[in-house]
Amino acid sequence: MNRRYFVKGLGTITLYSFLPMPAVFDNKYEWDPFETTTSGKPEKKHNYAMIIVQDRCIGCKACEVACKAAWNVPKDPELYRTKVLYTARAQSYSSKMTWLPVLCNQCDNAPCVKVCPTRASFKREEDGIVLIRQDKCMGCKTCMLACPYDARYYNENIHSVDKCTFCLPRLKEGKTTACVESCYKNARIFGDLAGPESEVSKIMKEAVAYHTLKPEEGTLCNVYYTQDV
Amino acid sequence: MSENTETRSAMMPALPFIVLGLLLCIAGGYGVISVFVKGHEESYGVTRMIPWGLLIATYAYFVIISTGIAFIGGLAHAFGFKQYEPIGRRIVVLATIVLLAGFTQILMEVGSPVKMLHMMLTPNMSAPIFWMGTFYGIELGILAVELFLVFKPTQTEKSRKLAAVAGFLALLVGVLATSNLGYVFGSLSARQWFQGIYFPIFLVVSGVTAGAGLLILVHYVMYKGRLTEEVSKSLVSLGRLMGGGIGVMMLLYLWKLLSSLFIGGGDAYTAAVALVKGPLALNFWVGEMLLAVLIPLILIVTARGNVGRYALAGFIYLIGLFFTRYDFIVAGQLPPMRGGFFGAGVVTDFVGMRLYSPSATEWLVYLFGFGVFFLLYFSAEKFFNLETKHH
Repeated sequence: MNRRYFVKGLGTITLYSFLPMPAVFDNKYEWDPFETTTSGKPEKKHNYAMIIVQDRCIGCKACEVACKAAWNVPKDPELYRTKVLYTARAQSYSSKMTWLPVLCNQCDNAPCVKVCPTRASFKREEDGIVLIRQDKCMGCKTCMLACPYDARYYNENIHSVDKCTFCLPRLKEGKTTACVESCYKNARIFGDLAGPESEVSKIMKEAVAYHTLKPEEGTLCNVYYTQDV
Repeated sequence: MSENTETRSAMMPALPFIVLGLLLCIAGGYGVISVFVKGHEESYGVTRMIPWGLLIATYAYFVIISTGIAFIGGLAHAFGFKQYEPIGRRIVVLATIVLLAGFTQILMEVGSPVKMLHMMLTPNMSAPIFWMGTFYGIELGILAVELFLVFKPTQTEKSRKLAAVAGFLALLVGVLATSNLGYVFGSLSARQWFQGIYFPIFLVVSGVTAGAGLLILVHYVMYKGRLTEEVSKSLVSLGRLMGGGIGVMMLLYLWKLLSSLFIGGGDAYTAAVALVKGPLALNFWVGEMLLAVLIPLILIVTARGNVGRYALAGFIYLIGLFFTRYDFIVAGQLPPMRGGFFGAGVVTDFVGMRLYSPSATEWLVYLFGFGVFFLLYFSAEKFFNLETKHH
């Protein structure tokens, strides 16, 4: 092989490596700058959602433990997929404490997916779960900065950013999420909003009021908060 | 030719800087190796809520200076700013090496740099950080072409035209790359401080100013103050450019801070407060305002063609600019994503801001970046002739 052919070959390979691979087109969650968040939620076959009945939570943190155990989340208290926050107690003698379980909101307009340069973060079209392909995450941590909910952390053991997946592998086995399973006060309810008979759908219909976290961010969350009393 | 050998013989100051570079590389190399052994989590001070720290700041510091230098080179080659032609070679060499020094920082910062390959295999074209990688990659390619052209032994009319095209492209891609770096931050919907047009413009302006400062400084050091008249003219012109740049920066600072503080609430306000009277106040007032604005401006205004003063202004500005980069990146991340109450899993200081302090290893990696710069650049000074020949 003479030098000319070698250089030509090298040039061709380089050129092709820059061409978008077919994989670019498999993710239809392409960001459309003209699509506004007011156009509503996208159609999905399943619409997995979690409802948190905030005043049922007693802060036992069994969900935190179950989640860490189920997904090998490192022990470091700063690394978690879900956390129960202690939010309020009116006065020092108040007997009632208020807790706020938080997790990834599986946003329909997910800022983390939009900023990921390698498409490691993506949103499943069929059910709206936001996932991370560990083999593609280069650890630039831009998604961690873009997330308004502090839902992501960098897991050095797997060399990737990690977050709640709504326990997708468990769902595939027909189980519910680890946190829901461990919650004996039934403060967390998981289900498919696309099914009208599911428990989550019923609650959403009956609830007088519910809210999502930081709605002003326009992220269209799939974790809803409501109260019993 | 005789003039050339004369100036070459006068150029002995490179050696101490090579030694300095080596020392910094050894000290920094210790940090780099320890990162490989211990891992990022144990080595770096960045946290879940402040994921970008000193290394991203150093990366931004270097690459923005590099594109600033390339901008000046583009002015010389493509837009007929003849006054910058006598320093053409140093412009290209300096821009390339400063860019490489910046790359050492991002490679040490990113969790698994090998997986950067996926930016090419499955790119997300809507992600600003993809374009950051693309633009800086292309910039390095253009600088490589420019290096080839300026060191070509026989300069023909054709190669000069090519150099003009390459210079223009370096300017264009450089401005795109740097302003896009502002967009990388601006696209973080959760971090208000970075949003808007301010940072893309501020980064470009401060980068060109820093490029001018570094060029003056390097020439002054290499000539030990005994400049030829031609080079001296170039440097005076660069000094004026620097003054203009600092003027524009002052204007940008003024309105960004006033508009952020005026609102009196929200994350951008908190970040501005962090700068003006919060945890970054010392950095801001001494580093940014005094070293990057006030002192260099006074020196430039009173220089009246004295290159030594311009060089001193460049030196002080380059120190101050580092605070600017560091503050810009850290301030935007100080407002927490949720209030740091007891039990919120967020640690904040008494005014409700997150805490960040670079670890010792981060400082060592930082030194490594400067070591790479000193070692490579002054080796180039020693082993290559960086004097631009007369056209």
